[in-house]
Amino acid sequence: MDDNFTLKWNRSNESVPNVTFSADYQMSEMNNWIQLPGCQYVADTECTFSFLKLNVLDEITLRIRAERGNSTSAWYIVDSFIPFLKAQIGPPEVHLEAEDKAVKINISPPGKQMWSMDRSRFIYSVVIWENSARTEERTETVYPRDMIYKLSPETTYCLKVRAELPLQKKVGVYSAVHCVNTTAENKLPPPENIEVDAANQNYVLKWDYAFANVTFQAQWLYGYLKQFPEDHSNKWKQIPGCVHVRTTQCVFPQRAFPDRVYFLRVQASDGNSTSLWSEEKEFRSEAQTVILPPVLNVKTTSHALHAYVGASREPVDLHRPLIYEIRFWENASSAESRILQEQTDFTFPNLKPLTVYCFKARAHLLGEKWNQSSDFSDVVCEKTKPGATSRTWLVAGICVLVVSVPVAVYIVKGLLRCLNYVFFPSPKPPSSIDEYFSEQPLKNLLLSPSEERTERCFIIEDVRSMTVLEEAKGTGGDLRAYHSPTLLLLGEPPAETQHPLSRGLPTSVSLCRKRIATVFGGISRPFPAIADGEAGPGVPL
Amino acid sequence: PDMIQKCWWLAFLMHVFIIGFQALDCDFLNVNLNRVIRKNMKLLRNVSHSFPIECLREIKDFELPQEILSHSQMEKRDIKEAWYEISTQAFCIFMGHAFQTTWEETHLTQIQNGLYEQVAYLEQCLMEDIHETKEEEMKYSGTGRFLLNNLELRKYFYRMNNFLEDKKYSYCAREIVRVEITRCFSYFYRFTAFLRRR
Repeated sequence: MDDNFTLKWNRSNESVPNVTFSADYQMSEMNNWIQLPGCQYVADTECTFSFLKLNVLDEITLRIRAERGNSTSAWYIVDSFIPFLKAQIGPPEVHLEAEDKAVKINISPPGKQMWSMDRSRFIYSVVIWENSARTEERTETVYPRDMIYKLSPETTYCLKVRAELPLQKKVGVYSAVHCVNTTAENKLPPPENIEVDAANQNYVLKWDYAFANVTFQAQWLYGYLKQFPEDHSNKWKQIPGCVHVRTTQCVFPQRAFPDRVYFLRVQASDGNSTSLWSEEKEFRSEAQTVILPPVLNVKTTSHALHAYVGASREPVDLHRPLIYEIRFWENASSAESRILQEQTDFTFPNLKPLTVYCFKARAHLLGEKWNQSSDFSDVVCEKTKPGATSRTWLVAGICVLVVSVPVAVYIVKGLLRCLNYVFFPSPKPPSSIDEYFSEQPLKNLLLSPSEERTERCFIIEDVRSMTVLEEAKGTGGDLRAYHSPTLLLLGEPPAETQHPLSRGLPTSVSLCRKRIATVFGGISRPFPAIADGEAGPGVPL
Repeated sequence: PDMIQKCWWLAFLMHVFIIGFQALDCDFLNVNLNRVIRKNMKLLRNVSHSFPIECLREIKDFELPQEILSHSQMEKRDIKEAWYEISTQAFCIFMGHAFQTTWEETHLTQIQNGLYEQVAYLEQCLMEDIHETKEEEMKYSGTGRFLLNNLELRKYFYRMNNFLEDKKYSYCAREIVRVEITRCFSYFYRFTAFLRRR
């Protein structure tokens, strides 16, 4: 925690007496080990050492060993770490001072060395409650030197404070509880409800006060001073024009308070005594800058609608750029659209033709928050031109048409060709087939009826060879039977028809026919008729 | 054509929406932050027009950690955090008592106010980021979150603080630190501008 680190370890054997422990450290760029002050010959199982003299941003490695008399154990090396990343935020130091209805709080940041570079970043959160009613706690975020207001006089209040580094996501430990009694109410109360308004080139500081015949004075302080824990009570300065005023307001020029964060406070005095200071009012002069609504001009051209915004008057001491916002909507509907930009001319290229659009504009002053905006300008309505968009479409349409006509003709042509091809094919075989089957015998296969007759010869030859096979198989070898089918088919009656064995002929022929049928079985074309009736009866027996 | 017109309208509305969204993002505040940083660099340079010759002998190299920018793929948030580290450390240095006596008071308060503005902007942007990434918060909540890059930057400012202490905040030491911080600002400013263009 903070600058102090604690090293803890376990003893392996509790019963061994007179054992002490010692630790060394080594920084990242060192080669030798150095004795860790505060952790030498420790009889306990923990020791505390401080980083006051070391760089807390560098990696550190520790080692520790046990010792007894002259004998020592081996070193145990502790994982190296960066102290700054490991450190926890400790409790801050708190000092309280009571006022009648407020408590003045002074906080010293924790950790002299560890957090020395974070002193402006700490956020302090205070939990405060009435001592008699612990349940009604309230939590406030305060500056290191701040006031807690809205308390009751003559009451005991208790509080605790912790420091936080929100961006590093570190939350500290609460301080001890401090209590304080608020005092009896002062005869002269402090002014209340402080407000600042801007008017012309001036600021008007206003406050409420119940009593008459008093004078007031007001002071200011730079806001950034509050970030630091140092005493800034002597840095308050008188506001020019707000010294010894009898009214409950005073006026000072805007020029004297350029765009910054200030704190303002007011005090009342009746000559004999003075009141306490009022609540310190945060005052962002940038937030007070009055931005006037811009002047809006809308013009239609043949291509688009243009809007121009012009600031009617530059505010005093304006360091920041203005951002313009235009809201527009169709006159008939209520749906608004908006555009934000830094430039003063806006273009609306894609609006509907012949429609009335309405526009209004305002200016934003870029700041820490979006609370600085002008009012909207007057609403300007404008009708879009008929040609603006429709003429463009007409031209585009013609162009598209000119291009598309030849394309369409071409497509239709192609489509027709396809239809013709599928539904009305030409009776001629494709030319490619002629090309490939130009050889005669193959061509013959392709069945022109006139050529079919010559085919018989081939068939018969074929049949004959089959018959030879059949004969050879073993009917006993009659050569006549072999010859006769040829003669028969040729249609010429053989000379030796009286041969005793010629009876068997029809059988032989029919056998051949069967074979032929078998051979040509795969072909769908009807086989030329060689019927029994044709040849058979013609055979004289 | 009517359909196309409708689509254009939608695209246009999307465009409007995106612009509107960006405007509320912290990016838009960057415009402002850049302006503040530029203004502060100018103020720091204008404190004195030339570096005192008698201080040349004391010049020390504070080892500006340039490598943290060159090697790492810095994300937007990392850059913001680096700027935050630089700004707060510079702010703390110029808030030191020794500087109160050196410079003309108006000039010093201008620088202090300027740096405060710079810190406040960054703080606001970073806090916005934190609120957006609640899950990440859970992950880091135990040990706290601190970038190692920023650790390098912190060491760099630590060296400057040590230098000031060693030299007992002498005139030369303050001048050397002022020039060094200006150099650091301008280095990072140029680098951020380069990243934005990329």
